[in-house]
Amino acid sequence: MIGILLKKDLLLEVKSREILISMIAFGIAVTLLYAFSFRPSPELVLVFAPGLMWTLFLFISTLAIHRSHSLEKEFDAFSLMLSAPINRSTLFISKCLCSLIFLIISQAILMPVFALFLQIPSFGNISQLIGVFFLVDLGISFSGSLISGAVMRARGNEFLLPLLLYPIVTPLMISAVKSTAAIMSSAEMIEWKLWFQIILTYDIVFGLLGLLSYDYVTEE
Amino acid sequence: MNYFHSTLKIKIFVSIIIILCLLVLYLVLFATRIDPQQQMAQKIFYYHVPSAWTAGLSYLFVAMFGLIYLLKKDEKWDYFSYASAEIGTLFCALVLITGPIWAKPIWGSAWSWEPRLTTVLIMFLIYIGYFLLRNFGDVNERMRRISAVIGILAFANVPIIYLSVKFWNQEAQLHPQPAMGSQPDDVYWTFILSLISFTLLLIYLFSYRVHVLRLKAKLFSDRYDL
Repeated sequence: MIGILLKKDLLLEVKSREILISMIAFGIAVTLLYAFSFRPSPELVLVFAPGLMWTLFLFISTLAIHRSHSLEKEFDAFSLMLSAPINRSTLFISKCLCSLIFLIISQAILMPVFALFLQIPSFGNISQLIGVFFLVDLGISFSGSLISGAVMRARGNEFLLPLLLYPIVTPLMISAVKSTAAIMSSAEMIEWKLWFQIILTYDIVFGLLGLLSYDYVTEE
Repeated sequence: MNYFHSTLKIKIFVSIIIILCLLVLYLVLFATRIDPQQQMAQKIFYYHVPSAWTAGLSYLFVAMFGLIYLLKKDEKWDYFSYASAEIGTLFCALVLITGPIWAKPIWGSAWSWEPRLTTVLIMFLIYIGYFLLRNFGDVNERMRRISAVIGILAFANVPIIYLSVKFWNQEAQLHPQPAMGSQPDDVYWTFILSLISFTLLLIYLFSYRVHVLRLKAKLFSDRYDL
């Protein structure tokens, strides 16, 4: 069932190309603004880049999460889906996976642009970076999908989502920035293991909370 | 329905709180010793810590009542949860105001990324979103469920926020942690009295807000039977 729901969301995106294009275009525009606003030296850029990068990715993830839920509002598709004999936690997982896929694709495209515009000399150990990115993206998808599912039918949902999401993801963002900075400066894993553990904890807590409570927030 | 303050029980309760608050104010200003290092700035401790205690307790209630609401689907638990959220945010604001007033003369800057203060700020921001959600959505069963989930999410996030901020800025000036048991009697008992008066104030504000929410619900012909 997850596969079918995921296929539906991905097919919608393949046909409309709304979410990915807006994420990438917005990401490039913000990176451009960063490049114009800061002209740091190669040493300084390593200090600022992880924070700038994760702020950017959080912004674009909000776009994706909001859009993927607001699309369901058209023709009241979400109500129809809820009336189908589908477990709500399955719905939650499919929404999370969909956001995760969008986020990973846009990051894969935006990272080289980011490196090019901000002249980042190196990203350090790429496999470690991919691991951290994946887990942080998963955390954003869990909390974002849960909150977006909750606020999607409220008035002003487009600004309620960031208002609720950004403070909630603060610990995840701190850990993401710290671990990315450590990887970019080729630090040993022992130095940033703690941040990795916080990311894992966040993923587990919000993954479980999402699975348990998505039913309550989406119920008619 | 009676006017909330018309019953004798409430009148006595409010009088006790007023007397206690005035007594605490007197003790703080005139009876407790002046700290040789922190001077008068230390006196804010008698209000800052009980405010934080009350805010923490209220947010625990938000999550607890929210959970009970999700399980029982009885609206009264939502009113309890919402009233606790309002009081928690009020005291959170007091913590955020009194913290910098104390920090400016002691740490030299009004704001330091101290883990507890930062956690309170983040909780405050989450609850601003919570209230906006309640204001923007029609208050129906779905909105009550969503509020309950947000309350639980916010509370579950507290230890993760605290730990991440703590490790993020380890060089930050840490919050003083006086061992209350070893404090002189005047400091210790004034603090305990202040803690009691804030807790009673929490109970009073909570009952009053629940009463108002109950009236509101009746006004909008909402089903509510306490």
